[in-house]
Amino acid sequence: MDILNRNNMKRVSLIALTLLLSISAVTLNAQNNRDRKKSFQSWDNYEITTEKVGVDGTKFVKVWGFAKNVDAAVMQAKKNAVHACIFRGLPGSETAMATPAICPNPNTLEANNDYFQNFFAAGGPWLAYVNMTTDGVPSGTDRRQVKGGYKVGIYVQVMYDNLKRKLEADGIARKLSSGF
Amino acid sequence: MKKSLVIAALLLACSITGWSQAKKPTIMVVPSDSFCERNGYVQQVNAMGASSTVADYSRAMKENSDIRTLVSAMGDFMAKNDFPIQSLEQELKRLQTEDAELAMMTGKSGGEINETPLERLRRSAKADIILDLDYEVHRVGPRKQVSFNLQAIDAYSSKLISGNTGVSSDASAPMTTLLEECVLSFKDNFLSDLQHYFDDLFANGREISVTLLCYDNCPIDFEEEFEVNGESYELAEIIEAWMADNTVEGRFSTQAKSANRIRFNQVRIPLYARNMNGRDVAIDAEAFVRPLVRMLKKKPYSLVVGSSPRGLGDVWITIGDK
Repeated sequence: MDILNRNNMKRVSLIALTLLLSISAVTLNAQNNRDRKKSFQSWDNYEITTEKVGVDGTKFVKVWGFAKNVDAAVMQAKKNAVHACIFRGLPGSETAMATPAICPNPNTLEANNDYFQNFFAAGGPWLAYVNMTTDGVPSGTDRRQVKGGYKVGIYVQVMYDNLKRKLEADGIARKLSSGF
Repeated sequence: MKKSLVIAALLLACSITGWSQAKKPTIMVVPSDSFCERNGYVQQVNAMGASSTVADYSRAMKENSDIRTLVSAMGDFMAKNDFPIQSLEQELKRLQTEDAELAMMTGKSGGEINETPLERLRRSAKADIILDLDYEVHRVGPRKQVSFNLQAIDAYSSKLISGNTGVSSDASAPMTTLLEECVLSFKDNFLSDLQHYFDDLFANGREISVTLLCYDNCPIDFEEEFEVNGESYELAEIIEAWMADNTVEGRFSTQAKSANRIRFNQVRIPLYARNMNGRDVAIDAEAFVRPLVRMLKKKPYSLVVGSSPRGLGDVWITIGDK
């Protein structure tokens, strides 16, 4: 009888331990999913590289975008390219120097939230400052199916000088000659 | 009625603010000394028996078309930013013409234009910000690659505002294309550094240097003591106290101080000051020291004082003579 009780106790402990481990694994997985979702939702989560020195007034970059389908990801990538020029700056490459952000002040986005909400709205003014240079839908390694959608990389020409002038004219960025 | 009055007052305030524009620094692209030396654009100068070589900018600009390409490309983007740069080539030509005209100029009664040797020396091409440019062409097999170095230097403080180095892509394209690629590569970084420099200028004032010199016929020197508020102070101390009171947040450094010479550097001056008509105007180094000059002319100092500007950001004050 005693042996039987002891065996039962062991079984219960084993079940409890297994349950505990499974719950923590599920929680950890959910946490990872949440983090991943959060990082995908964050606008700062994109990769951009300068490909070469663009023709006068433009920047030639490769930028990545993530969305549920390829078309939306391409659109997001274009938006990311304009976002990088305004807030993040473009990294340098072997033959092109780094490009500083048009608005290097970290508070610019917060201080002009309404302006940028309108600027980056679907079909908003941002579209006028980007040219897609990849013909057709990205394929091969530039089109990756990931959990929750697609991640695509496209080559984009950003009309950097025009974008800068627009932000200067709207009073968001400071003109070099202002004050003189 | 009240509303329209408020709007009118606001518009007036805006227009008054609009008049107060800081003095715009001049910018000039100058080939670096090492570039001139490497390419033989130098001339031998004999100064008091000691021979030395100096850069011959005039020859460099005339004989090297690549420099012209670079200057044109830089001039273009600066003009687009409402900041046209001064042309070194044109400035050198203007000085030559000015020399010739001054030599020929006589008044109706036969008088000639006065010019001291110092005035003649100072009549040279200069700018407030110097863009020191250097580049070298490298051969990569049949292709060419250009490495460049552009430094923007504050002419008065000798501080580096922006430093840009890099290489173009290696290609068999014409030199003009490679040079333009270089300019486009550093353009935005350079403009950003310049903007940072101007932001600092507006926030903390213009950085200037002030040098006080004593002529040998001056009856006193900077160690002479004067009574201020019942206490005896050296003239140098009194001048330092004036600097502390009139600079932005009292920022200045006394670089050198002796009986005959005082030099202040890293002097931060406000961009605007009130003129004799009580109006806010943009000031430079010379306008900044005018009140000091007036103070030294008055009792108890009663000195003969002169001031001579050496550009927007450097001024010499002489005591004992003008």
